[in-house]
Amino acid sequence: MTEPIIHIDHVTKSYGSFTVLKDLCFSVMPGEKLALIGPSGSGKTTILRTLMTLERIDSGVIRVDGDYLFHMERNGRLVPADEAHLHRMRAKIGMVFQLFNLFPHKTVLENVTLAPMLTKGVRKADAQRRAMELLEMVGMAGKANSMPAALSGGQKQRVAIARALALQPRIMLFDEVTSALDPELVEEVLNVMRMLGTQTDMTMLLVTHEMSFAHDFADRVLFFDRGRIVEEGPPGDIFTNPRNERTQTFLKKIIAAGQRI
Amino acid sequence: MGDWSGYIGLMLDGARVTVELTVLGCALALPVAFAAGLGRLSRFWAVRALALAYIEFFRGTSIFVQLFWAYFVLPLIGFELTPLQAGVLALGLNVGAYGAEVVRSAVQSIGREQHEACVALNLTRWQGLRHVLLPQAFVVMIPTFGNNAIELLKATSVVSLISLTDLTFQAQVVRSQTGSTAIPFLTVLVIYFALASAISFGMKTLERRMTRGLDGIRH
Ligand SMILES: Nc1ncnc2c1ncn2[C@@H]1O[C@H](COP(=O)(O)OP(=O)(O)OP(=O)(O)O)[C@@H](O)[C@H]1O
Ligand SMILES: [Mg+2]
Repeated sequence: MTEPIIHIDHVTKSYGSFTVLKDLCFSVMPGEKLALIGPSGSGKTTILRTLMTLERIDSGVIRVDGDYLFHMERNGRLVPADEAHLHRMRAKIGMVFQLFNLFPHKTVLENVTLAPMLTKGVRKADAQRRAMELLEMVGMAGKANSMPAALSGGQKQRVAIARALALQPRIMLFDEVTSALDPELVEEVLNVMRMLGTQTDMTMLLVTHEMSFAHDFADRVLFFDRGRIVEEGPPGDIFTNPRNERTQTFLKKIIAAGQRI
Repeated sequence: MGDWSGYIGLMLDGARVTVELTVLGCALALPVAFAAGLGRLSRFWAVRALALAYIEFFRGTSIFVQLFWAYFVLPLIGFELTPLQAGVLALGLNVGAYGAEVVRSAVQSIGREQHEACVALNLTRWQGLRHVLLPQAFVVMIPTFGNNAIELLKATSVVSLISLTDLTFQAQVVRSQTGSTAIPFLTVLVIYFALASAISFGMKTLERRMTRGLDGIRH
């Protein structure tokens, strides 16, 4: 039996007196495509940021690919992870942000080659060859020598995806990667995501408000509300036959807002 | 009366000393500014405290007193410095303290999302600083560094107090020898202004080169 690649076990996190993640538990299997949906402020972004080690948790444990994320075993006891451990763990995970976060002072090609050269010691020529393949894949090879400021939002996001892929992570996190885009640019990014979904065995977690995309893309959907998962299941069940009252209300609102599911 | 070409030669010698002090002072101030400015952002409490103490001390006391310490007090504890060395040391450390705050605030002005991209790409703190944050912050620093360099140029005149023959010192010499005040000090004014303009121009050129492409056009 295969083990989960991500295991979140009774995780709690607060900002001051506000609890964002409440005793959260879920697992993700290797290669699984998981969609995280739910109302604003329900903690979806926070859980992705936590997996990327951009946030720390207050209690509970997270295991990624067989290792503790924020802990290490020392003489049979769990102690807080040091920087070297976090560095090893981050190598397994990549993240794409809502606002792209490209490096504005570097060309498209340099954005993609920087991390492999620095973190894996890949030689420049090899990094560039690999980067061009990835840029080709996301349809951005023609802009390899452009600066990010010269690109549209959709183009920026496709470069950001290539940049994250260049490190060959086993797990990719996508946080509302189309929310900041003009409507006509959304599809070009979703197409890249679809291709990744069908052509790679990466584990993918995506937070999205694009319900019809989540429906087609995901193997499983988690519905978040106020820091908890209140319903989960295959997209067919969640979207067409939600059982939880809050899921129903949420989906009704989405449909009322004009989205097709 | 008087040999004006000789006096002009004196003034130019003084200008050379002033330029030398400015260049060497900046050469010291720049690395010190980066060390102390980044020290202020260190993960380690002791490093932050040390950087802060240095910055506050050199900003909170006058360059005049610092120069006297470098030249008259350090020898008492075994550090014998030439006037030029003392001048460079005092100027470099003084302006370095101001520069440190420029470095710190420029690095802090770079958005959090750039730092987070570095973490997500698994760069170490140092790699992120070196390849992502500092290159962007440097562009922000250049104009203020230009002002700092001009401040340093203007501050060089204090070294005439430890009998370094800089521009101001030579102007005094010419004045006492010729009895003319207006001419030597008008000359001094023009030379300082020309030097400051040269610094401004250099910094503007550098800034223009560094910001290429950030507006979306690859030049
Ligand atoms: N640094 C922070 N300090 C304080 N509160 C925060 C911080 N970051 C997030 N929060 C709060 O935590 C809650 C959950 O945030 P999170 O971004 O995870 O929600 P989300 O499900 O991604 O929502 P959205 O759909 O709007 O993106 C929100 O109410 C937010 O205001
Ligand atoms: Mg969010």
